[in-house]
Amino acid sequence: MSSAIRIKNGKVYDPLNGIDGEIKEICVQDGKIVDSVPDDSPCIDAHGMVVLPGGVDIHCHIAGHKVNLARKFMPENKRHDVSPRVNELRSGTGGSVPSTFTTGYRYATLGYTTAMEAAVPPLGARHTIEELHDTPVIDKGFYILLANNVCLNQLLEKGRMEEFREAVAWWLNAAKGYGVKLVNPGGDEPWKGHKNSNVHDLDEQIRGFDLTPRKIIKALIDATNDLGLPHPAHIHCNNLGHSGNYTTTIETMKTAEGRRVHITHIQFHSYGGEVGKNPTSKAKEISDFINNNPNVSADVGQVMFGEATIMTGDAPLTWQLRNMTNKKWINADTECESGCGILPFSYQEHIYTHALQWAIGLELFLMAKDPWRMVLSTDHPNGGSFMNYPKLIRLLMDKQFRKEQAALANQKAINSTSLLDLEREMSMYEIAIISRAAPAKLLGLTHKGHLGVGGDADITIYDDQEDKEAMFNAARYVIKSGKFFIKDYEFCSDFQGRILHVEPEYDHAITQKLRPFFEDYYTIQFDNYPIADSYIHDGEVVPTKSLS
Amino acid sequence: MSGSSKVIENAICTFCGCVCDDIELTVDSGGKYITQAKNACVLGKSWFLEHKVEDFPVALIDGKEASLEEAVEAAAQVFVNAKFPTIYGLSDTTCEAQKEAVAIADYLNGNIDTTTSVCHGPTGMAFQGVGESTASLGEIKNRADFVMYWGGNPAEAHPRHFERYAVNPKSHWLPNGKEDRTIAMVDIRPTQSSMIADIFLQIKPGSDFELLWAMRALVKGRAFDRSVEERTGISLDRLEALVQQMKDCQFGVLFFGMGLTMTRGRHFNAGALLQLVTDLNDFTHFVSLPTRGHGNVTGADNVVSWQTGYPFGVNFNRGYPRFNPGEFTTADVLGRGEADALCVIASDPGSNFSAKAIEHIKSIPVITLDPKPTVTSQHAKVAFTTATYGINVPGTVYRMDNVPLSLRPAFDSPFPSDEMVLRAIKERICELRGITSNHKPVAA
Amino acid sequence: MKLSLHTLPTVPLEAEVICPDKFIGNSLDAISAMTVMHGNQACSLADFFTLTDDGLETIEVDGDLSKVKLIGSEMTQGKIIIKGSVGAHLGALMTGGEILVTGNAEDWVGREISGGRIVIKGDAGHLVGSGVRGSDTGIQGGEIIIHGNAKNEVGNGMRRGLIVIGGNSGDFTGVNMKAGTIMVLGQLGQRPGASMVRGTIFSTQSAQLLPTFTYNTTYKPTFLKRYLIYIKKLGFTIDDAYLNGKYQSWSGDSLELNKGEILLFAE
Repeated sequence: MSSAIRIKNGKVYDPLNGIDGEIKEICVQDGKIVDSVPDDSPCIDAHGMVVLPGGVDIHCHIAGHKVNLARKFMPENKRHDVSPRVNELRSGTGGSVPSTFTTGYRYATLGYTTAMEAAVPPLGARHTIEELHDTPVIDKGFYILLANNVCLNQLLEKGRMEEFREAVAWWLNAAKGYGVKLVNPGGDEPWKGHKNSNVHDLDEQIRGFDLTPRKIIKALIDATNDLGLPHPAHIHCNNLGHSGNYTTTIETMKTAEGRRVHITHIQFHSYGGEVGKNPTSKAKEISDFINNNPNVSADVGQVMFGEATIMTGDAPLTWQLRNMTNKKWINADTECESGCGILPFSYQEHIYTHALQWAIGLELFLMAKDPWRMVLSTDHPNGGSFMNYPKLIRLLMDKQFRKEQAALANQKAINSTSLLDLEREMSMYEIAIISRAAPAKLLGLTHKGHLGVGGDADITIYDDQEDKEAMFNAARYVIKSGKFFIKDYEFCSDFQGRILHVEPEYDHAITQKLRPFFEDYYTIQFDNYPIADSYIHDGEVVPTKSLS
Repeated sequence: MSGSSKVIENAICTFCGCVCDDIELTVDSGGKYITQAKNACVLGKSWFLEHKVEDFPVALIDGKEASLEEAVEAAAQVFVNAKFPTIYGLSDTTCEAQKEAVAIADYLNGNIDTTTSVCHGPTGMAFQGVGESTASLGEIKNRADFVMYWGGNPAEAHPRHFERYAVNPKSHWLPNGKEDRTIAMVDIRPTQSSMIADIFLQIKPGSDFELLWAMRALVKGRAFDRSVEERTGISLDRLEALVQQMKDCQFGVLFFGMGLTMTRGRHFNAGALLQLVTDLNDFTHFVSLPTRGHGNVTGADNVVSWQTGYPFGVNFNRGYPRFNPGEFTTADVLGRGEADALCVIASDPGSNFSAKAIEHIKSIPVITLDPKPTVTSQHAKVAFTTATYGINVPGTVYRMDNVPLSLRPAFDSPFPSDEMVLRAIKERICELRGITSNHKPVAA
Repeated sequence: MKLSLHTLPTVPLEAEVICPDKFIGNSLDAISAMTVMHGNQACSLADFFTLTDDGLETIEVDGDLSKVKLIGSEMTQGKIIIKGSVGAHLGALMTGGEILVTGNAEDWVGREISGGRIVIKGDAGHLVGSGVRGSDTGIQGGEIIIHGNAKNEVGNGMRRGLIVIGGNSGDFTGVNMKAGTIMVLGQLGQRPGASMVRGTIFSTQSAQLLPTFTYNTTYKPTFLKRYLIYIKKLGFTIDDAYLNGKYQSWSGDSLELNKGEILLFAE
């Protein structure tokens, strides 16, 4: 059976190759984009349709221990959002934290073909991989949490930088991670070991260590760059959600000293005002900094009104939210590696802070001069489910719609921002950048996010509609690795996607240093910790650049 | 030791929820049994050393020997002819097998439930109501200077719990091990475990909820009635002192067992405890953990959760998962005479369910998968003999604190794994039901 | 419309179609063909019931319906009379209308209703007028009247409305209650009102309360008399002593707002 497909007459948006709405033929063979296919190859006539590379989500929470805790936690919020079995496509449940099969199918239905789970304690990597195996269709990988790692912190405070870097590389290999995630650097130690306190300043000493958050941030930015990882340090800054936190965010970005760094869900880190009082928007200050510093990229972490689930390695934050909302709450510590907090949440138009967060997110998108460095995310499910992406895209593309929606939200909040002054409407080309091309590029996935020859045949085709929300809600065709998942709006077949991970080189002598630490601090054997290659059913090692 | 005997280092014991992963197994040169299980506790030793490959038939249909293929066919027929097929057990098998079981329930529009519903199911329900603060066991080993056990007897049920995780370990933060910790026990009678405790509260049976409620009031500084002394048998002075100690510690942990969750009040008892621990977080870092019994019951919770969104007691009658403990939990479904077929994987409801449920089990076709004959398998229409996980079968299991581990089996079994049998049944069901992969060539 | 069970379901039968809202405007044939789920099998109503159109809008159902779930689900109007016993989730999510059961009912009677009235002449199972697991909200209005006994968790998470239990209630009556009224003419089970925020629980018998409830006073609550006269009209026998008696008033749960009230007959 030939696996060739020809897509003709479609309007193609492929920013990585500079193609902006040209009518262009796309050919697919054996899972890849090719120059041409035999004349008798099956053909889609995409007349009146828009052809885009498959979407790439740079930051979401879709698999692993904390996600599964959230599933078990909230039976009440998904019983009215079920996903029935369709032939061999497995059934599931939705809500803001869908079951694994439903997660894969729903992402793919929106035209997303790659998603990165953003926060995995390495000890929970095995669990994450188990779930990713059951998350069909899409390709996926995960970032491992290393900014509160007791072992790394001990190396760091002693200034053993080479061993630190080797250990980071070992950990990425052992956990089969894709990148390095920092969450509230240094905050776990005071949380777990000192009456649930936290760190608030980058230069504050972390209790129990001769160390500051800034030193951890700097060390991990350097290590990820030095190891030539395809994606740089992925940072959830300190002081998330606190009024006045934008200075912490800017300080964090400065710490990179010109080296590549990615700041995640930056909307939650762009607040002015005084601690304990209402926040204000500092989107302008944050945007200016990023506009002027090409080494920095960010995803927005847009807030969308409605149900959400707060789910983060930043446990002190969730405790604070819990005390504000008096809702049921989870705390879950992972030995030597991470904290975690979860609670149900709902963003409401009439609430000042929620409306402000919504507006700041949009400001950040619209103020970014370089869409390649300010990409789309809702920090699913923290700012809202990924199912909100079509609506978010419409908010960015349709000024009138944006103003109508803003009129429904808390006016004090909206008017304190510059949102209503922003006339920009993103083009389809720009949407293709922030949802496809740019995240793929920032992830170093050179074979994704574009439709050039040699790229993965991850392709989505939408009917060209005026209402962009309706358009992006239902892809007409979804092709993943050259296979149809959706054909003419109908589910076609069920298949697994790949697990993307990195294997940076390291000196095996580091295991001699790590083994005694494990014996003292962990409860599982050092030799039982790394994940065997055979554990990954269908993996792809994304190359690292060799050390210079 | 014979020259050709094999040694498995860092092997994993699945006898209980501790899932110790530091066992050194020596396998006899014939590769048929284990001669040594270094580091294992008394329960683990008997688990490993008493494991023999018996000469059972691979399958029985109506009590008569059958081939694997015949039994798979018979099982699939039982399943597809049922209107309310129920799958149960799963806590003593691998996650890989658990996944196949959920798939079968999905493709059959059946019902699936695990032994969680009869042990810490109430904890799961309480958790859904009030949340929890919890931690992996290593955090407790490293940091917990206040350790409390409520309604459980780890010394006998989880013999290495003290040594590996919670009482004895020395750490960076607790260099003197047990001396740096305060150990408290709450139970209705003294046990092997309570002997090691610094503080032992012997409470009157059935008063756990009241005691927890009074402790919550003390933590939160709320009014409560002195009658609780009489009700629980614990003096207010002792209680106040205890609560003060809990608030003053650096890192506290409260482990709890079925003495709390399976006595009157059930999920409310567990909920009261989870809430007490949450309340304590206003003052210090405090976590709780149920001491789970079976080797991979935690894995069953996880697999069922990620595939369906719900942890146990899941029904697919309408083509999608629904959850309702009491309605879709096996003891209830059987007790009310609702299931018309039952598949039991690595469990024995025939020996421990209510008389009514057992009577119903005897009236419907039953499929069993187990390494050994059980009371339930005596009534089975189709009984499979399967290989033992951890000893013969590789795969993934979850420790009681949700930490996953990859098994290191010691030797092969002539019997198939649960996963293999279930997958074969699943594939046959899909054929019979016309559920096919719809990979059509691309339309022109 | 009259429905008479002619075939006993062998496994649970989910019959949310037995509901005035679904029947209205449909012919006998159309109603007969409506789908019910017998376990995992889709069947028609006529596979289990003989249907007779008596020209009345009231739906009357006869037979042992103890395996028939979800009757009257999401009902907004009209009346269902069940002559016999009924299965779980009777009248779930109902907002209006009335359901009368002459026999007993299984668990989850009136789950999450916000209006209407359900009357059970016999006993009811667990979780009368409650919410689902994970939710903190039970019924938000309406009336559930059980003439016999009810099992555990009556009114779990209740926010509004009235629940009357003519006999005894099980453990944790009014647990997590936010507001509303629960009247138990018999004995309360263990631990009534645990975690209650506001609302009223009443019993004609004494009860052992949780330590987080405090005694206020003994008085004659006038509103209670009105409630009792009201439920007398619903067919309960109320001793005059209860109508005119004094009641102990207790406040709790102090772990929450302490604004809940438990009233126990004193003299």
